[in-house]
Amino acid sequence: MIHMFRAVLYTQWKWSRLIVVLGTIAAFAIPLLSVQGAARADRGALQAQDLLRSVQSWGSLYPLLATALGLFMAMAAWAPDHRGRHIHALTLPLERWRYVLLRFTAGFVLLAAPIAAILIGSSLAVLTATLPPGLQAYPIALGVRFAFAVFVAYAVFFAVSAGTARTAGIILAVIAALILAQVVASMANLDLDLFGAAQTALLLGPGPLAVFAGRWMLVDV
Amino acid sequence: MARLRRQADSLLSAWRDAQRLAALADSLEQVRATAGSDTIAVGGLRIIANPSPLPLTDAAERAWPVIDSLYGSAAEDLPRYPYIFRAVDPDSSVRRTVLHVGVEVPWDLDVRATTSLLLTTVTPPSFDAALADWLGSALRPTLRPQDEGAAVFIQLVTAPSEAVRRCFLGDIARCKDVLQIGDSTGWLARWYVTPAEREALVTGSFTDYFARGATAPTLQNCRQHRDDACTALLQLLPPGSLPRPLGQAARLVLVREALRAGGRDAYRRLVASPTAAIDARLSSAAGTDFDSLVARWRNAVLAARPRPLTLPWWAGFAAIGWTAFFGFCALRSSRWRL
Repeated sequence: MIHMFRAVLYTQWKWSRLIVVLGTIAAFAIPLLSVQGAARADRGALQAQDLLRSVQSWGSLYPLLATALGLFMAMAAWAPDHRGRHIHALTLPLERWRYVLLRFTAGFVLLAAPIAAILIGSSLAVLTATLPPGLQAYPIALGVRFAFAVFVAYAVFFAVSAGTARTAGIILAVIAALILAQVVASMANLDLDLFGAAQTALLLGPGPLAVFAGRWMLVDV
Repeated sequence: MARLRRQADSLLSAWRDAQRLAALADSLEQVRATAGSDTIAVGGLRIIANPSPLPLTDAAERAWPVIDSLYGSAAEDLPRYPYIFRAVDPDSSVRRTVLHVGVEVPWDLDVRATTSLLLTTVTPPSFDAALADWLGSALRPTLRPQDEGAAVFIQLVTAPSEAVRRCFLGDIARCKDVLQIGDSTGWLARWYVTPAEREALVTGSFTDYFARGATAPTLQNCRQHRDDACTALLQLLPPGSLPRPLGQAARLVLVREALRAGGRDAYRRLVASPTAAIDARLSSAAGTDFDSLVARWRNAVLAARPRPLTLPWWAGFAAIGWTAFFGFCALRSSRWRL
C-alpha cells in the first residue's frame, strides 16, 4: 500500500508541482510583506495604526490563497483521470474508494509545504518587525487557521471534481432553485431571506466555510 | 446709562415672559401627549405610554436593576423624569398627530429591544452641563460593560499619541492628561507630544480646514515636516475642537469605575457640586484619591483586553469534520459505483 501511495504521490507531485511551488512562495512572502514598512520603531505612536491597517489589508490574501490552493490542487489531482476517461484508474487492481483515498491523502501531503511556509514566514515576520506595546503576534494561530482553510477548500473542490456532470448539474440546479425562490419571495413581498440563511449556515458557527470568515490578523491587540 | 439699564430690564422681562410661555406650552404638550395613556411603575421607573402590546412592564423589570446599580441612591429621583412613549403601528402609513414630547416606538419590539430602549433613553438624575461637556455624552447604563472596556483598550494601544502610549505603559500623569483632567492649558503639547503626531493630525484631520485662505502656506510648510507650522495651525483651531486622543468611552469607563468604587451614594456625590473640578468630583464619588482612581481605571481597561482573533476550540473540529465529510462524498461519488 505504501508503494502505491508513493506512486500516486509522485504522479500528483508531477502534475501539481508548479501550483505547490508558487503557493509555497506566496505563503512565505505574504506574512513578511504584511509587516514591511509599517513595523518601524521611528513611527512612534503612529506605528500601531499603520501596522494594523497593513496587516489587515494583507490579511484578505490568506483565505484567497487557501481557496486557490485547494481549487487548483483538486483540479490537478483529477485532470489526467478526466482526460483519460478514468480508464487507467478502472484497470488498476484496487478498489475505487482506495484509489480515491490515495489521491485525497497525496493532496494533503503536498499541501503541507505551503502550510509550513505560512508558519515559517509568519514567525520570521514577527521576529524581524518591531511591534508596538499592546500588540501581539499570532503566527501559530494564523498557520493553524490557514491549514484548516486549505484542507476544507481542497476537500470541497476534490469532492466536486470527483463527481459526475450529473452531480454538478444537481448542485447547480439547487443553487438556481434557491435564487429563483428568493426572487419570487421578493416579488411577492414575503419575509423570506434565503441568501441570509444560506450565508449564516455556511459562514457562521460550525458551517463548512466558517474557517474562512472574519479577519485574518498576523498581529492584533 | 439709565437708558441701557431700562433696555436690559425690558429684555429680562421679555425673556421671563418667553420662559413662562415655553413652560406653559411644554406643560400643555405633555398633557396632550399623555392623554389616554397608562402609567407603569417599576422601582423608580415611571413609563407613560398608550395601551399597546409593547412589553414595557417586563422590560422595566429587567432594566430597573441595571439602572439602580448605576445611579444608586440617586435612582430614587427618577420618578421626576418619566419616560413618555407612544407605541405606534410599524406597518401603518396613516398620518399621526405630531407630538413634541416623548418618543414614538413601534409596538412590535420584543422585551430585549424594549429593555435596551429603556436603558439608552433613561434621564440621568441631576446630570449637569459641566459633567456632560467633559464626558461627551450622558451617563447611562450599558448592557455590555466588557465591550466598552475593550474599546478603550484598543484606543490605548492604537491612538496616534505618545501620551496615550505612555498611559498604557503605566504613566498615571499622562493618563490624567489624555482623560482631560486637571490644568486645561496646553492640551496640544500634552496630547500630541511629538512633531510626527502633530503633522499627522493636521494632514489627516484638518487639511480641508486649513487649505484655503491665509493658512494655506502654513499648511504647505507643515506638509514639509516643519513642526512650527503644524503647531501654529493646531493652535488656530477654535477652543474645544482639538481632537481628544481618547474617545468618550474612556471617560465613561472612568466614571463607572468611580461609581463602582464609591458605593450606592457615589452618583449623588458626583452630581452634588456641579461647579467643582472634575477630578475633585470623581474623587469624592469614588471616596478615594484621584491617582488611585485613575490607576484603578487603567487596570480595569487592561483587564478588558479584547479576545484575540483566534479560532474557537470547536472550529478545528468543525473544519476536520467538514474535510472528512467532503472526502467521504468524493469516495462515494456515483462515478465509482459500477
